[in-house]
Amino acid sequence: MNWFRRLWQRERMESELDRELRFHMEAQAEEKVRGGMSEEDARRAVRLQFGGVTQLKEECRESRGTAWLEDFIQDLRFGARVLARAPGFSFTAIAVLALGIGVTTLAFSLYNLAALETIPVHDPARIVRIERRSPENVAPDVPYVSIAYYREHATTISAVMAAMQGSPVAIEGDEKRVEPEFVTANYFSELGGEAAAGRLFDAAHEDSEASNPAMVMSYRLWQQRFGGDPSVVGRTVLVGGKPATMIGVTARNFASLGTDQPDVWLPLTQISYFVEGSRKLSDPKFDGNILLWGRLASGASASQAAEELLGLTNQLRPLYPDVIWNQERILVTPGAHFFTEDGAAPFLALMWGLVLLVLVTACANLGGLLTARGAGRTHEIELRVQLGAGRLRLFRQLLTENLLLGLLGSLAALPLCFVALREALNYTEAPEWMSALPDWRVFTFAAAMGFFSALLFGLLPTLQMVQRKKGRRLWNQFIVCAQVGASCVLMIVAGLLVRATLHMVYAEPGFAYRDVVSIDPELGDHGFTAVAAQQYLDELNASLRNVPGVETAADVLSPPLVNRVVMMTSVKANGRRISMIYPNWVSAEFFETMRIPLLRGRTMRDGETGVVVISRSLAIARWPDEDPIGKAWNDKGDVVVGVVGDTRAMEMNNSDAKEVYFPVAKDRMAEMSVLVRTSGVSSDVLRKIKSASEGVDSRLRPSITPLRSGYAKTVTEVERVASIVSVLGGLATFLAVVGLLGLVSYAVAQRTKELAIRLALGAGRVEIVAAIARRFAVPVALGVALGVAGTAAISQLIRRALYGVSGVDPASYVGALAVLIAVLGLAAMLPIRRAFRIDIARILHFE
Amino acid sequence: MKGSLPKFELPQGTLDLLILRVVAQEPMHGYAIAQRIQQISRETLQVQQGSLYPALHRLENRKLLAAEWGATETGREAKFYKLTEKGRVQLKAETESWERLTDMVELFLKHGKGDRT
Repeated sequence: MNWFRRLWQRERMESELDRELRFHMEAQAEEKVRGGMSEEDARRAVRLQFGGVTQLKEECRESRGTAWLEDFIQDLRFGARVLARAPGFSFTAIAVLALGIGVTTLAFSLYNLAALETIPVHDPARIVRIERRSPENVAPDVPYVSIAYYREHATTISAVMAAMQGSPVAIEGDEKRVEPEFVTANYFSELGGEAAAGRLFDAAHEDSEASNPAMVMSYRLWQQRFGGDPSVVGRTVLVGGKPATMIGVTARNFASLGTDQPDVWLPLTQISYFVEGSRKLSDPKFDGNILLWGRLASGASASQAAEELLGLTNQLRPLYPDVIWNQERILVTPGAHFFTEDGAAPFLALMWGLVLLVLVTACANLGGLLTARGAGRTHEIELRVQLGAGRLRLFRQLLTENLLLGLLGSLAALPLCFVALREALNYTEAPEWMSALPDWRVFTFAAAMGFFSALLFGLLPTLQMVQRKKGRRLWNQFIVCAQVGASCVLMIVAGLLVRATLHMVYAEPGFAYRDVVSIDPELGDHGFTAVAAQQYLDELNASLRNVPGVETAADVLSPPLVNRVVMMTSVKANGRRISMIYPNWVSAEFFETMRIPLLRGRTMRDGETGVVVISRSLAIARWPDEDPIGKAWNDKGDVVVGVVGDTRAMEMNNSDAKEVYFPVAKDRMAEMSVLVRTSGVSSDVLRKIKSASEGVDSRLRPSITPLRSGYAKTVTEVERVASIVSVLGGLATFLAVVGLLGLVSYAVAQRTKELAIRLALGAGRVEIVAAIARRFAVPVALGVALGVAGTAAISQLIRRALYGVSGVDPASYVGALAVLIAVLGLAAMLPIRRAFRIDIARILHFE
Repeated sequence: MKGSLPKFELPQGTLDLLILRVVAQEPMHGYAIAQRIQQISRETLQVQQGSLYPALHRLENRKLLAAEWGATETGREAKFYKLTEKGRVQLKAETESWERLTDMVELFLKHGKGDRT
């Protein structure tokens, strides 16, 4: 009989054991009767000889190997009864745990959705992302020549799917632009995507440049822009001014590859139709930004594919030496995940750290609750020990009780987590396929969290209960210290983030953005050469200057606040590295247009090369004691000619930003945008700018964005992070307050008699408050010290995770500590105040 | 109480060996096993029920014994234990190791006696 059968057939086994022992007793009694004893005497003699039958049975059960589980079930039942008898305690403990576990589970759920769960596509295990690396270069994209070559020749990859995000386009002339993505014709069929209306791309129709221009739109856009109208399918729609047939709508839960959430999909083969003049596919010079995924052929592994693709790439190198890197290697990784970015590690680590701190506070709180409750149960424990309960057995039973609490906490955390996750997904407009419902990983995680928190923080109070010791002071102090320390870190980090947000909202960014408009003609996309681009930009500038209300115009590579890509560089000076330098390429009018003050020297002149202008903080960092004018910036012969004011143009929340400005470079001419300063941004001016810029070249539809809107967007993003951390900080502080309140109440309750005597003897109130407060002052102070030290220690991580949040901003530290200490002080005073209202005579009489 | 020899405690683990040895002859119920052990040991060993039954259940759990309900000579139902194949192997192994141990102990004891004379 195996172990499980024995467990299930427990009742049969019990009755068999009964019968077996009864037979033995009867047989023995019979023999005694045969030996001449009376039946009654024989029975009694046998019973005496047998001793404790119950104990004997217990030992038989033990040797059967199922005893521990039977005990566990019994303990669980008993534990449930004990918890039900103390609803106040149970509710508080479960609520505290649910908060702590809920926050961790929420964080885990988000991570699970983004990185662990595969996106719902056909056979996700065989979808891979293909990227390339070399010792000098890291790029997410793959050249189109390689893609075309892989498609022709690779055998380990059965299908290649390419996708490229395009510049936002207007649909039907509506100025609210949408995000297009150019994809290969097999994109939807390989992913097993279904249409909510019409059909999606297929190789028969959309695989050639000559086929009818077609587009597919997302379910979201269909609902928002067309009200879900099915008659839109088959209609001709203008996309960026180009007519195309709307052939269908993706299903609501369609999952696209990568993190982009496009509104419309266009065939990659037709890019030169939609983006007039585009030479992306035909001329390797204009290549770039095409992301590549593949489906592994059956039986092929990712490493085999990487090896084969590398071989193919090496064959291409002699043909395209400018496009294929030296020592290029191909990276093939699992591709069917929403999020695979490895650069986010510091941010993830920080978030995990903060979330775990909330859990620590919750657990410490539970520890405190258990201790206080243990004190109330001394009588019960004493009784059970006297009734013969073994110490180990008792310990096991109490631990089971804690585990039950932990699991109930996990159970209560799941709905909390579900609601919060649903809200978070709605708030961030996450893809429709992401569901807030917990999957097995989330369940396991929540259960494990409950198990470990109950085990770790229940262990010591339980041991002390069993050993019936009074000395819980050190443990209490540890609990206070842990709670205060963890809340302290969270509060300070929240303070840092809130300050960073405020700084951003209220401090001057170092340039006047309010009346500036950016115009991006996307020349490179449209296949402009440097010469053509130069000519276009000159004409555009001239045309814009004639618009009434436009004051100045300047060319810039990376327009502040509305730039999509942020470039950063670093230089080595005096043996140390100066990082967070934002380079930009600008024309002479840039500083005037942006109202960035010139502090020393001069700015660059029209057409001048070999000069750079640097910002004040960069000048100070690189040449602390010298005049930077005339110094060589690099070994390419660029000389510093001027110093301008600091700006936070590239990343608003980075107060450490340093800038270096280069003159417009010939080879980057097609990437330039134009900035214009107006006497006031109004719809009238915007319209005039639009018609002026479209009048230069009728093929182009430049995106025109006031810097104001970019500013608002950045502020919203930083505010979002700050509010999340503030909620975490608030939660931890709340838990710490509840915990301290409980512990001080407990301390006061324990010493009611002492207090009464002191009061009766005429002790002053101040003296008594001091006596109680002293017990908590040390752990609170230690917690604060540890919290401050801990935050300072991770300040580097904070800075790397959240740019521009200075890790050592004293005001944030002081502010957070002041709030924390004030709140804790109040929490401690409440029970002490209550203690003064005690009836001295009654207490002393009672004792 | 019969006999002049004092009862003594069985060394740990020996009871299992005795049970296996007794049951090896024929299937037996718990009472008969106790009787037989007492009888073979010439009344020196009185196996207490408190150690017999846990030992039987343990051996059954380790699949060295198999149990079956059957009728006794007096027609009453009792649980009969019999040796399994695994039990037989175990008995052989334990008997051998026990013999080696006693031989060795005997050697030492004799040697000691020789010294003194």
